[in-house]
Amino acid sequence: MNNKSSRLSYLTRGIILENPTLILMIGLCPTLATSITAKDGLGMGAAASFVIIGSNLVVSLLRKLIPTSIRIPIFIIIISTFVTIIDYVLQAYQPALYRVLGVFVPLIVVNCIVLGRVEAFAYKHGVFDSFLDGLGKSLGFTLVLGVMGIIREFFGAGTLFGKIATPVWFRQYPMLLMLFPPGAFLLIGIFKALINKFMKQESL
Amino acid sequence: MPKNPGLIFLAAFLVNNILLIRYLGLCPFFGVSTSLNTAFGMSAAVLFVMLLAAWVTWFIFHIILIPANLVFLRTATFILVIASLVQFVEMFLRKNFRTLYSAMGIYLPLITTNCAILAVTFLNIDYKFNLLQATIFALGTGLGFALVIILFAALRERLDFAPINRSFRGYPIAFIAASLVSLAFLGFIGLFGLSL
Amino acid sequence: MKSKFYMVFALVVVCLISAIALSQVFSITQIKIEKQKTEAVLANLNRVLPSAFRFEEVTAVPQALWIGFDQNGKKVGIVFKIAPRGYGGPIETLVGIDTSQKITGIHIASAAEGLKETPGLGLKVRDDWFRNQFIEKTKNDLKLKRDGGAIDAITAATISSRTVTDGIKQGLEMYGKYLKADSIQSQIE
Repeated sequence: MNNKSSRLSYLTRGIILENPTLILMIGLCPTLATSITAKDGLGMGAAASFVIIGSNLVVSLLRKLIPTSIRIPIFIIIISTFVTIIDYVLQAYQPALYRVLGVFVPLIVVNCIVLGRVEAFAYKHGVFDSFLDGLGKSLGFTLVLGVMGIIREFFGAGTLFGKIATPVWFRQYPMLLMLFPPGAFLLIGIFKALINKFMKQESL
Repeated sequence: MPKNPGLIFLAAFLVNNILLIRYLGLCPFFGVSTSLNTAFGMSAAVLFVMLLAAWVTWFIFHIILIPANLVFLRTATFILVIASLVQFVEMFLRKNFRTLYSAMGIYLPLITTNCAILAVTFLNIDYKFNLLQATIFALGTGLGFALVIILFAALRERLDFAPINRSFRGYPIAFIAASLVSLAFLGFIGLFGLSL
Repeated sequence: MKSKFYMVFALVVVCLISAIALSQVFSITQIKIEKQKTEAVLANLNRVLPSAFRFEEVTAVPQALWIGFDQNGKKVGIVFKIAPRGYGGPIETLVGIDTSQKITGIHIASAAEGLKETPGLGLKVRDDWFRNQFIEKTKNDLKLKRDGGAIDAITAATISSRTVTDGIKQGLEMYGKYLKADSIQSQIE
């Protein structure tokens, strides 16, 4: 448990082998809804990361004080506290981003990644390990959001992070489909098929 | 958002379909849309809880949270209320309505973490709906959820027999099918000037 | 062995701490959120009527209207808000006019401010070339070229272009009277 390689694996397995979105298939709603542009996708990833890491830390700190039989309501209160904090902070300091993310910020509270990590990991492990685990899962989640955002923005609008990235002829007739729901579903379907092809059966 | 109940219903049911346009409630959507039976059970459970949750949270927000100046507790209160509501409904059905329980009981616990339910209660507040409008909105959303999940289950039952490349079996082909169905729903955008 | 009392105690403590923390966050951010909103409005007002130094809001009209004054307190023009219905929903537009009835600038809400037009098509009403062609125009020019006016429509988004143009024209007809009077008060009555 305490040797270095297993600790490092807490961090790394969340990014690829146990990627929340692509392997565990949880947290799909925000992944599809907020990855319209690269900036929005990364913004959503950052907001969710704050909640995942924050609640993992607090729960692992208090794990010996929380009675087992009422742990779920207590987890939910802790998580919703972090969600409300990020909700108001984004409203105050990033109003443009907040308008785009909209209802998906308070909805982080029902994102299965958060409750899942708190229940399955942070309640049973130390503070540092829980931090690594939360960081790994956050990075995995944000990575997928960011990559999808980059692809959708590039093909759908011809820009990258709001900057022009394609020639004029492309920007006049971009693949608008990518900005709309069908493009999001199509893209995640292709991602999942690629994973099935290259990661064999271990993930299924 | 329109104020007219008929338009609210149409907007929630078709134009801004909760699954395909708003991308909410996708986890149960892909999870249980594998057969028609489970799709019916799930949609009944979602519709039922969505209406109840819309009423309960509307009253809590307007009768307790606003007068007490506690709007910042909205997220925490709503999720706790919905979680306990679902538990309560499950116990009540198991004791008093065995047939109804056997039809949709097993889906109830799954609903607590269904973001569609929580989203409807938040949107009712964000759109400043009154009780009637909130009810219509929840009804339209729940029926829209049912429509798509049942359509989609019928589609997936046939997909099982289709000759599909190994890598695309299961989730990938379901996503791509969802992409095509949502393309059809995109046609409703702009209907009667309704949009998000 | 943890007693029932301890369970209730733990739950209450967690709730209390959470509520206190949130009320703190709420009171800090709320000030900032309010400030942000008024600042954003003011920045947009300045953009469409640059010659004004100070704005006064007129509340007795159906939609928002501001009267702009220069440093000496002289009226330099008005800014009004219109929201004609586009393809995807209302297109919120701020229009600035100077005292000679000429448009000084228009600002169209971005997607982040709630605009729901089709990206790449209707959303092009925000493009500079489309917005800037309204500057210096008066009421009679406000028609698309194909309707006999002076405004170029956006390719494949004629409806959105016409909506915005007509909306501005109607706004001019409705609010133009506020330009003539010297005081705001006499107009409201």
